[in-house]
Amino acid sequence: MTTSSTLDHLLDRVTAGGHLTAPEITALAVAPDILSLGMLADVVRRLIHGAQVTYLRVATCACDAPIVDAVPAGAREVRIVGSPASLDAATTIVERARAAAGNRVVSGFSWGDVDRVAVAAGLPVSRALAMLRSAGLEALVDVPLDAIGDADRVLSSLMGAGFERLRFTIEKAPASERQALAERASALQKQYGAIQSINPLPTVPHAFRPTTGYDDVKAVAIARLAAPNVPSIQVDWLRYGPKLAQVALTFGADDLDTVSPSDEAPEGRRRAPLEDVRRNVEAAGLTPVERDGYFAVVA
Amino acid sequence: MVDELARRVADGARVNAADALALYRHAPTHLLGRLADGIRARKHPDRVVTYIIDRNVNYTNICVARCNFCAFYRPVGSAEGYVLGFDEVFQKIDETIAVGGNQLLLQGGHNPDLPIAWYEDLLRAVKAKYPGFKMHALSPPEVLHISKINQIPVDVVIERLVAAGLDSIPGGGAEILVDRVRKLLNCYGKASASQWLDVMRQAHRAGLRTTATMMYGTVETDEERIEHMMRLRDLQDETGGFTAFITWSYQPDHTELGGTEATGIDYLRTLALARIVLDNFDNLQASWVTQGGKVGQLSLSYGANDMGSVMIEENVVRAAGAAYCMDEVEIVANIEDAGFTARRRNMHYEPLGAPVFRDRDLPRMLTLGTARADGDVSVPDELRGYPARSRSGKQSRVAH
Repeated sequence: MTTSSTLDHLLDRVTAGGHLTAPEITALAVAPDILSLGMLADVVRRLIHGAQVTYLRVATCACDAPIVDAVPAGAREVRIVGSPASLDAATTIVERARAAAGNRVVSGFSWGDVDRVAVAAGLPVSRALAMLRSAGLEALVDVPLDAIGDADRVLSSLMGAGFERLRFTIEKAPASERQALAERASALQKQYGAIQSINPLPTVPHAFRPTTGYDDVKAVAIARLAAPNVPSIQVDWLRYGPKLAQVALTFGADDLDTVSPSDEAPEGRRRAPLEDVRRNVEAAGLTPVERDGYFAVVA
Repeated sequence: MVDELARRVADGARVNAADALALYRHAPTHLLGRLADGIRARKHPDRVVTYIIDRNVNYTNICVARCNFCAFYRPVGSAEGYVLGFDEVFQKIDETIAVGGNQLLLQGGHNPDLPIAWYEDLLRAVKAKYPGFKMHALSPPEVLHISKINQIPVDVVIERLVAAGLDSIPGGGAEILVDRVRKLLNCYGKASASQWLDVMRQAHRAGLRTTATMMYGTVETDEERIEHMMRLRDLQDETGGFTAFITWSYQPDHTELGGTEATGIDYLRTLALARIVLDNFDNLQASWVTQGGKVGQLSLSYGANDMGSVMIEENVVRAAGAAYCMDEVEIVANIEDAGFTARRRNMHYEPLGAPVFRDRDLPRMLTLGTARADGDVSVPDELRGYPARSRSGKQSRVAH
């Protein structure tokens, strides 16, 4: 365990609004003591967000399935999942989702998907992004920091096409690369100022060596500490489940993505999806607050 | 107040119930974790985390106790009721030995049609066929049930079972050791708090080592959760017979009681508090089977020093919705990933060596086994040799 005097010194600094250096974060990340890492990340989290935890209820629609006309009333974002066959197909599904979504955000696709359909259509990616934005797409769901290559090109293209409040994800980078990726996000944020969130847990789980609980909470805490200028650290409620997602809230996460929009409760009101999220947040000593796809708190 | 308490705990002071309540209610989760981790480090400075390869076998699901939090039991006469045959138990032992196991955790319902002779014969048969194999069997409420239906005092039941081959007693059926809670859970009839503790007291006096458990998250208050820990601590002061404490959250699916499961944070806080309160228990297990592998692993930073059992088979919490599975490879990976050294152990927490899979190839286990295949309603031959008490039990044996 990190010695009390060292931890107290670091806690004093972050409590006063200071940041940890890269070597300090590295030393914490390689140690088996997750609690010191968690305490520090929690201080940074609370300085930015207080006790508030936001959550987003998302209605999903598959790329290759017909859009349902009625989006659940509780949904605050309509998210297209899956990979489009072509730019035309992507544009069409966005238009349909836009029509069904009303005033809710429509999100979808990964950077890789858009790059691929743009190449297939013989267009620059910036043009494809502009077409999708014009059709009503307001956010890319997956902009994986570990897979996008030239980040400057990606951010310039997205911002040039009118995308705001960008969300970074991690596709499958090993634990050893997480700190460098978070530092990269922090540097990009300094340069562009458009990054709203990092979702530091892998979106593509390793088939034979899935992440452990230690891996996950360390990744969340490192992201919070290494990128203090990025407003939100997200955890995917659906993908990582209530237990891990709840614990992550004490390791620096402040936002729960992909909460079910359903209000159905066949097993009783207390087991309804929304109630389950709120109960878990409150049991972590925090305050649940619903947000929309623009990261605005829903009154 | 919390800071002062934290300093005292860090200095090794014993907490009282009021201190424990203040810590549970007001200490930040990370602080509780650090205090518990500090105690774990003092008791286990070598950074070894242990586990056992055994199998959780439920010899019958027929039960007259009718606890309202249980989704596993079937009433007497149910078409889904079963009793395992001795050969089925032997087969499970063979499978356990094949993956490096050395013990069965054998527990079951309170079946009125199984006299003490059935248990004695099963234990003798196992010991005759597998002399070195350990039988960690029959929780206190089962011992009481055997005592009641056979009209034999508890100490004699224990003496006879030990003579037949019982090695140790698991701490099941404790739930919350407060009678108000036990009455609400409809488990007061199977064993009051004092009766549960007295069975353990007699077992310890008879030279057996046992474990202790706590199922929380039903109807108990915070104070009652702590009272449970205090009663265990008092008995441990008296006998020193408990080897370990295991806590898990109530699993609500398919139960009469219903409700929700306590959260992961609640589990980690409860575990950490147990490490602080139970200062005379050497070992605390992580309940990965109810919390999942990830929170199970995180338990190692909140006071646990043992990953429990590879299990191979589990029936009771699975019936109530928990279906997590980890084989030896995964358990060891989780221990080592957390910065500890993994060691196999026996029920007495004596080290047995390095992981088995590092010495020889073992088949990967992706799902936990069950007591029986779905639809298997066979009745073991040997049951005919034991008198039944219930009408349906008698009819079943005549028909068979």
